Amino acid sequence: MFPWILYIVILAGSLILVIKSADTFVDNLVDIGAALGISQIILGVTASAIGTSLPEFGSAMIASLTGSTDIGVGVVIGSNIWNIAGILGISAIVSGLIKTESRGIKRDGMITLITALLLIFFMFFGDVTRVSAIIMIIVYVFYLWILIRDQKKDSNEIKGNFKNPIDNESSSTKSFNIKTVLWTVVGFIGLVIGCRLLIYSGIEIAKIAGIPEMIMGLFTLAIATSIPELVVTLSSAMKGLHDLSIGTVLGSNTFNIMIGIGVPALFMNIPVEKLSLTFDAPVMIFVTVLVLLLLKRGMKLTRIDGLILVSTYIIYAITRLYISV
Amino acid sequence: MVYKRILVTNMGEFLDEIVENSLDLIHGRKVEVIGIFVVDTSVPFLTPSKVKDMMIAELEKKGGEVLSKMEKKFQKPNITFRGTLRKGDPADEIVKVAERENVDVIVMGTGKTKIDKHLLGSVSEKVVHSAPCNILLIRKQ
Repeated sequence: MFPWILYIVILAGSLILVIKSADTFVDNLVDIGAALGISQIILGVTASAIGTSLPEFGSAMIASLTGSTDIGVGVVIGSNIWNIAGILGISAIVSGLIKTESRGIKRDGMITLITALLLIFFMFFGDVTRVSAIIMIIVYVFYLWILIRDQKKDSNEIKGNFKNPIDNESSSTKSFNIKTVLWTVVGFIGLVIGCRLLIYSGIEIAKIAGIPEMIMGLFTLAIATSIPELVVTLSSAMKGLHDLSIGTVLGSNTFNIMIGIGVPALFMNIPVEKLSLTFDAPVMIFVTVLVLLLLKRGMKLTRIDGLILVSTYIIYAITRLYISV
Repeated sequence: MVYKRILVTNMGEFLDEIVENSLDLIHGRKVEVIGIFVVDTSVPFLTPSKVKDMMIAELEKKGGEVLSKMEKKFQKPNITFRGTLRKGDPADEIVKVAERENVDVIVMGTGKTKIDKHLLGSVSEKVVHSAPCNILLIRKQ
């Protein structure tokens, strides 16, 4: 009984360490970037794109580097299914309404679908190889470039058309000093240690419970590392920031595949489990298509749509556990 | 009662109805309208700080747009308009501004369903309990 409790405590503690370290790392890295003269738009887009996804990336990377590639792939695919069916579903149920613009579906929705299809295409060849990894990283850099270009266009339009009648406090720019560098290093070390502990406790719990590592990655670790996406998507939906709500999920899914699998695959071939190819990856594509169809119907997600998405996730989870355990 | 100073609150929803009812209440008299938009800065634990900054920036942008629209709609010879963008808990900030500005009436929207009230909470309900003046609640059509 005792090891169970110990590993669950380690899992919970390491999860908080991972999320807080990722936050510290990104926060200070952005300050360094700003001090080095990198544009605020580039920093803002990149920070928001990777900010919530660093825990998944770190876990997938550490899992792959330590030989638990099943967990790594599981975290990525599991997170992507959970992000759409679970997180967007819960957010739509709680907020009652998440609206979207056609650009959100065309740009972020299509790239999410394309990356999911690209991953399944590479999986057909067996292992995800270095060549696939390079293609995935190039696609992600291209997507980031599109995001930065659109953000620049948006901020120019705002400057040109809208005059804010209110005097706001201007945001102060932090200066770059040795403390910032130290915090960046501390954040990075915390992220590595946290991810290592997270994967270690996940594997040990899987062993004790007698469940496959893949299941641990697909559910426990995938849902746990997606906590930042859940809090951001849910709270922005409740505040009426609809674009941010849907953008967080779609952006995170693109990052998870292209970088979460792409970067580890640069260092080693990532083997593909048969069930990942025949069941998990198709479900990931199915939920992506489902959410895009639901969004396209009325340019919004309603509470009913949220229930459809969450029910889909529950059916998937029950079926997957039934097949594997 | 003759209202001389009115606090009109809006978070971006059904602004037309709120303005229409406010103008009906003003009824051509000379008044000062204070428009308020509150940026809700609360975020859950474990929200990345850069994302929190981005959310606040987005809400400030939205608030500026809402107040701009409000200013245009209240452009009448008998009305003096002033906008204020605040940060914090919406209900608390509305009550604070109402007290500080010594307003005669607060105009705000209402009309959430029971489910929404349970899941999202209600700003108007909180304001009703602690407002220092009369309140005109505009029901969402």
